[in-house]
Amino acid sequence: MAAPARAPHRPWRTAWITPRGELLSPPRLTATALRLTVQVFLVVFLWRGLYAQTDGAVAGLDREQAVAYAVLAVLALRIRELDRHSGRDTVQQHLHHGTIVYWFLRPVAPRRYHALRALGDQLYGFAWVVAGYLLCRSAGVLPPPASAEAGAAFLAGVVLGQLVLYRVMLLVDLLCFWTLRDGAALRIVQFAQNLLSGAFAPLWFFPGWFRTMSDFLPFQATLNTPLSLYIGRIPPSEAPHALLVQAVWAVGLAVLTRWLWHRAALRVVSQGG
Amino acid sequence: MSLAVDPTAAGRLRRWARAWCVAWRITRLNFRAQLEYRAEFLMSVGMGVAWQSSVIVFATVLLQRFPGMGGWSGADVLLIVGMRMLAHALYVLLFGRVHSLSFLVQEGRLDACLLRPMPVYRQIQLSVFPTHGLGDLAVGATMFAFAVQQAAEPWTAGRAVFLAAGVAGGMLVEAAVFTAVSCAALRFPSAFYWSTWVDELMATFGSYPLSILPKAVSGVFTFVLPLAFVAYLPAGVLTGHGAALGVPFWLAAASPAVGLALFVAARLLWNRSLRHYTGVNG
Repeated sequence: MAAPARAPHRPWRTAWITPRGELLSPPRLTATALRLTVQVFLVVFLWRGLYAQTDGAVAGLDREQAVAYAVLAVLALRIRELDRHSGRDTVQQHLHHGTIVYWFLRPVAPRRYHALRALGDQLYGFAWVVAGYLLCRSAGVLPPPASAEAGAAFLAGVVLGQLVLYRVMLLVDLLCFWTLRDGAALRIVQFAQNLLSGAFAPLWFFPGWFRTMSDFLPFQATLNTPLSLYIGRIPPSEAPHALLVQAVWAVGLAVLTRWLWHRAALRVVSQGG
Repeated sequence: MSLAVDPTAAGRLRRWARAWCVAWRITRLNFRAQLEYRAEFLMSVGMGVAWQSSVIVFATVLLQRFPGMGGWSGADVLLIVGMRMLAHALYVLLFGRVHSLSFLVQEGRLDACLLRPMPVYRQIQLSVFPTHGLGDLAVGATMFAFAVQQAAEPWTAGRAVFLAAGVAGGMLVEAAVFTAVSCAALRFPSAFYWSTWVDELMATFGSYPLSILPKAVSGVFTFVLPLAFVAYLPAGVLTGHGAALGVPFWLAAASPAVGLALFVAARLLWNRSLRHYTGVNG
């Protein structure tokens, strides 16, 4: 007789999958450390080299602010670059191979499984960010936050930014349920995410029309807002408004993705119908 | 049916033409396969356009905010950007599949290539049609034409030939770098991580005068990761910056030949690595 179904023990352990996979691969750890170090030094050289041609601030950012923004962006990108493709555990791969159905048969709901996996990814990436931040601070590459208020707002902005980032990427994952081939869509969103969040260059350097456009999109809430709070480009007096915008995006996207999970579940059919 | 191989020059030419005829037919089939999913096809082209456009936006932003970048005028920097973008688009179209060799190895698809009567490197290039390369090419060619038109000095026949050779050389440098990196993918599937990083470095630092960086860093980008040869050095020769490129003028002028030499060296390394490749079945 089959045993009665039981609630799963400690489903949060799912969050450990990515960190454990990474920790068991020393070459990847070495590569990550080397890549992060080189990338940080290169952006420092690049922005210092660019500012060497100018006197004073450019687009409201002085040299130290621009360097700090660029270095923090490099560190933050570390959170987004985990390779889950090699482990064949992306939604796109599961849909392609038909194994997505198992997500709906397990005792842990797919929505929860996806969130726990992402939480593990983000916490692992965050550990790298903290280590990189402390090293950069001790090396004098990064200044402290513009003020105590800016530091507090920055921390709140980082948390909200990660929530928005997760929802945006989840939205793209959920799109896979309606399309057979969407590799290009995924790459476009990832690319737009980097460009419009300020990962390539501080958004403050872009023309007005570009910043206005990015104001209407969720991407700038993931990176530009917390980084601008850190360097003081968004003053603490404007922080509540910036954080509120992030919160609105986080809640709005949460509602949308929850509804899409429900709709996606209706589309999943195991082989044989 | 005779299996004898005609050893004469005419026979070799016939076999060469037949092999490329087969490659062309496979490319046409791959293209039709991409058209099967129209939305994906259009989005792939859109991805290429968006990616290349972002390079233009970024370059424009930097040029507006930081005029006189490294002692180069805006038109001169645009020539670097245009040459680099066109060379990159041609690389993507002709050689770009080495970038995804890790996946072919992981999925065991490379083993099948070893059994077919066609060079493995060519089979990899024919594994899929690079749709996004069409978008890359459209924007890259437009940017290149604009940069050429903006150039301060007139285009004599000699300068035009060097420009074309510089773009071809830049494409070969990029192909050489990624072919060399893909050698590691034959042993370590995680080499994709390095490949992505190199791609990022070339996109970030390949389109601007390296003179804005400290000498040691620009030296690394010349002699270790030779992205200076993609566009910076040939554009420097064409725009009269030959004396301040950080390398002897003759070396900058020889950029197209350096590209060819690097590609030949990378292909030899690749062939050697392939001989030592061991599939999942041992």
